[in-house]
Amino acid sequence: MRRMMRSAVVATAALLAAATLGACSGGSSGGSTDAGSGDYKGPKVTVAFWNGFTGGNALQLVPKLIDQFNSEHPNIVVKSSPMQWDDLDAKMPLALKAGKGPDLAVAHGEDVATYAAQGLVLPADKTVKTLGYSEDDFPTSVLASGRYDGHQYGLPWSVTPLGLFINRTALSEAGLDPNTAPTDAASTKQALEALKAAGRQGEWVSGYRYNDGLEFESLLWQFGGDLFSKDLTKPTFNSDAGVQALTYMTDKIKDGYSPPNVAEGGTLKAFITGDSAFSWQGVWSTSDPALQGVDWTATAVPLIGTQRAVRTGSTDWMFMRNKNQDKNKTAAAVTFVQWMNAHSLDWASTGELPALNSVREDPELLQKYPKLAPFIGELPYARYYPAKPGIGAVIKLITPGIDEAMLGKKTPKQALDDAAVQAEQLLKRNESQYGG
Amino acid sequence: MASVPLALPHRQTSRRKIGTQVALYLALVMIALVILTPLVWVLLTSFKTNFAAINDPTNPLPLPFTTDAYSTLLGSSEQPIFRWFLNSLVAATLQTVLVLVTASLGAYALARLEFVGKRIVFGCIVGTLFVPPVILLIPNYLIVQNLGWLDTIWAITVPHAAGAFGIFFLRQFFVNLPVALEEAARIDGAGEFRIFLQIVLPLSRPALATLAVLTFLANWNDFLWPLYVLLSPENLTLQPGLSILQGAYGSTYYPVIMAGAVIAAVPVLVIFTVAQRQVVESVANAGLKG
Amino acid sequence: MASLPLAPATSPASRLSRAAGRGRRKTLTAYLFLTPFLVLFCVFVVAPIITGLWVSLHDWNPLLPRQPFVGLQNYIELFTPGSLTSGDFWESMRATAIFTIASVPFLLVVPFALAVLLHQKLKGGTVFRAIFFAPYVLGVAVIGVIWKFLLDPQSGTLNKVLGAMGLPDSIPWTVDVPWVWISLVGVTVWWTMGFNTVILLAGMQGIGSELYDAAAVDGAGVWRKLTGVTLPGLRPVFMFITTTSILASANMFGQSFLITAGAPGDESRTAIMYIADQGLKQSQMGAASAMSYILFACLAVISVINFRLQRERS
Repeated sequence: MRRMMRSAVVATAALLAAATLGACSGGSSGGSTDAGSGDYKGPKVTVAFWNGFTGGNALQLVPKLIDQFNSEHPNIVVKSSPMQWDDLDAKMPLALKAGKGPDLAVAHGEDVATYAAQGLVLPADKTVKTLGYSEDDFPTSVLASGRYDGHQYGLPWSVTPLGLFINRTALSEAGLDPNTAPTDAASTKQALEALKAAGRQGEWVSGYRYNDGLEFESLLWQFGGDLFSKDLTKPTFNSDAGVQALTYMTDKIKDGYSPPNVAEGGTLKAFITGDSAFSWQGVWSTSDPALQGVDWTATAVPLIGTQRAVRTGSTDWMFMRNKNQDKNKTAAAVTFVQWMNAHSLDWASTGELPALNSVREDPELLQKYPKLAPFIGELPYARYYPAKPGIGAVIKLITPGIDEAMLGKKTPKQALDDAAVQAEQLLKRNESQYGG
Repeated sequence: MASVPLALPHRQTSRRKIGTQVALYLALVMIALVILTPLVWVLLTSFKTNFAAINDPTNPLPLPFTTDAYSTLLGSSEQPIFRWFLNSLVAATLQTVLVLVTASLGAYALARLEFVGKRIVFGCIVGTLFVPPVILLIPNYLIVQNLGWLDTIWAITVPHAAGAFGIFFLRQFFVNLPVALEEAARIDGAGEFRIFLQIVLPLSRPALATLAVLTFLANWNDFLWPLYVLLSPENLTLQPGLSILQGAYGSTYYPVIMAGAVIAAVPVLVIFTVAQRQVVESVANAGLKG
Repeated sequence: MASLPLAPATSPASRLSRAAGRGRRKTLTAYLFLTPFLVLFCVFVVAPIITGLWVSLHDWNPLLPRQPFVGLQNYIELFTPGSLTSGDFWESMRATAIFTIASVPFLLVVPFALAVLLHQKLKGGTVFRAIFFAPYVLGVAVIGVIWKFLLDPQSGTLNKVLGAMGLPDSIPWTVDVPWVWISLVGVTVWWTMGFNTVILLAGMQGIGSELYDAAAVDGAGVWRKLTGVTLPGLRPVFMFITTTSILASANMFGQSFLITAGAPGDESRTAIMYIADQGLKQSQMGAASAMSYILFACLAVISVINFRLQRERS
């Protein structure tokens, strides 16, 4: 009896384990049915829509657009779930695998290939054809980054460059002309020295992914470097250009233009309060409600290195492939995306630039949102992340290195070299998991 | 007590006593302030404008006074904070009921019945008492996923009801209950289930209350697990909900995040104020009997 | 249970089989009582322990079509300096160790001091007891978002208040070591001290007053009473809260996740944070499972040492 009991327990456990394993190791790729196109006319469905639109004023504005769509489409309810991009990346893949993920999502351009390689996205070739998109309709390489293995998986939606935010009050108080923006390393230094003389630390820097990591990448490109080798097998962000870029940032602290130990979000907050006068921030911050009480303007980021470049993010629509994905929901999602596409001029109110050239170049856009002009002006030399399965996680490895350099724990060279060692290993693992 | 001839030294000692009392109260009030000040500060911040919260964090008064943060939060269908509160309440209650039922039944068998395999079963249960939850994180995720429970209330109630603590704790209590009443009932021909229901359970009310409070608090506080197994905004509980809220609103919307914290905190504090004696005494029990 | 000496109407053999029958019925009843618990226990405790081991022997990425068997590779990699995960993993183990070592003494000493205060039977003692316990019922996320706001080095209230009092106003509470550890320990003590306090207080109330009276007769002062009567009387309670506090600290997740996000670099990212990140965010479930078993082994060793030490002392 005793032995029977014991073996019963073991057998149950083994059975359960087998069930777990069996169900998990099932193949992921079903037939690659296309997301399709056209107006959804079927029964009422709810489309789960996950996105990372949380910066600036997006949290207030996206629901308004969605409410409008929902009221115009009685058979479709779009339900938006905004969360920080990191939270989204963390939850979405396993949720889709379990059939509990969204029907529609917006992801960063560099992550589309990863999701596609994991079999989590439906190809959208037909949708693209219906919308009549071609490479020339978007800034360079933006449509291409949504392609993987011969199919279009991501539909470009917005592009988001950094810009130089200027607190005019802070400049006036320091006796500087609030209408003259620094354009290069020399004029930046001059302005920062003047601010310092007036007792103000003019441009705060910190070591976090949002904004600060992006500033580093912009500078890396400006100094002629790149994140990875051409074939994306080796990290190169620890090149001389990378060290120059990071040193430029750490020098801000050394030269007394920024306090040390600035916390996450601290650069934006210091800009809002006028404690600093300049800040490299993403275009989405233009809609931040906290800026309403501030006399501010924005210009293109200055040319610090040897060539113009600015790190620019891109977002893409993706039609997700849940386990047992409901075709009706996908069709409704396509309808929603087409509608949003037709209303994308208003998207600029969130502080993001519409990816479609025709919308962005529409004079009405700048009439309504004049503060976006310098950001649009940057697009000819905008730089984007490369697209390859798993690349997003590799890029994230750079941030702790930047943080360590900013805190003075490592020299810029050491910090970047250490990050590069890890990055190279992760690139190798990606290669073995996703194939070359 | 009344020793008249010693009036003078008596007054001296009583003065010293009063001095000690004042010092003790002073210490208690100081510590209470350390606990209460941050909470009050958060409440005040939730009535500030975004700009004021960043620009003037030392001014305790919310000037200009605004309820914008609350209307932002309550007007948002994407951050249904009351729904999160309700979910937390339901989940914590459900897990508490599950634990009470399964653990008390099982503990009765382990404490009062002789049966084949008892030592093995008990040994297995005690053996897992100190298995840290992190061991179960990944495999339980796979199991919950295969049961189709991701993003459901089952995921955040059932797996954690399987822990060994409840049954172990109740067994210790049951073992020490007097057997006389049971024997009498047995002679009257009562079955085991009736004895369990009508004699053992009523005698164990304090132990059951302790277990209930501990289970409820543990589920209420759970953060890591629901953060990963709950997905849709309307299914979240308070703890992961607030984390998502902080991520979404970021660093320039402090009043909104603080308003979220206030909404999450006030009902619990009200419930706690009403039931504080029971809660505190239950926790105290755990240390003595555990 | 002693059977009455009735006439031996039944043969010994049949009596034996009847007893066996009764035993079987009893066993059946017992398992009926146990079934609801055992089902849960097998599915969500026993099975995962086995499954976790199995998963740890594979390159288990649930998003890919195949989960190849790799033997002990995941474990070997964690012990190979310079591999992709070993540096980060041991850094996270270090973070967990630092936090545990730094927090547990405070989680014992501060509640003990509070319990001594509350034990003075002052009027309103229960009110204070409730206030001290209150933060615990709020939950880690409420605590986390509150303190992230208050501790922000630049715009946080704490630094501004310190500055107003003429003290250093730029302490990097959430940004740099050792301050992040002070913050994390401080917040944890602030949040959970009430829990251990009420347990210790109940323990003190359980110590008979005759022991104190006897000590008073011997001329013991406050201090002697404390060390001679209170502390020895609390030994079992201390053993309980030491064990639970060590386990709770070793499992710390929410405070780091919400307040420091692992900063500086990844120095305050705890082992559980890293395991959750690797397993559930990066989908490297095999490696993550291997890590959780190593963490388990470390905790087991510590538990054994803790038990030995406590037993020796008593």
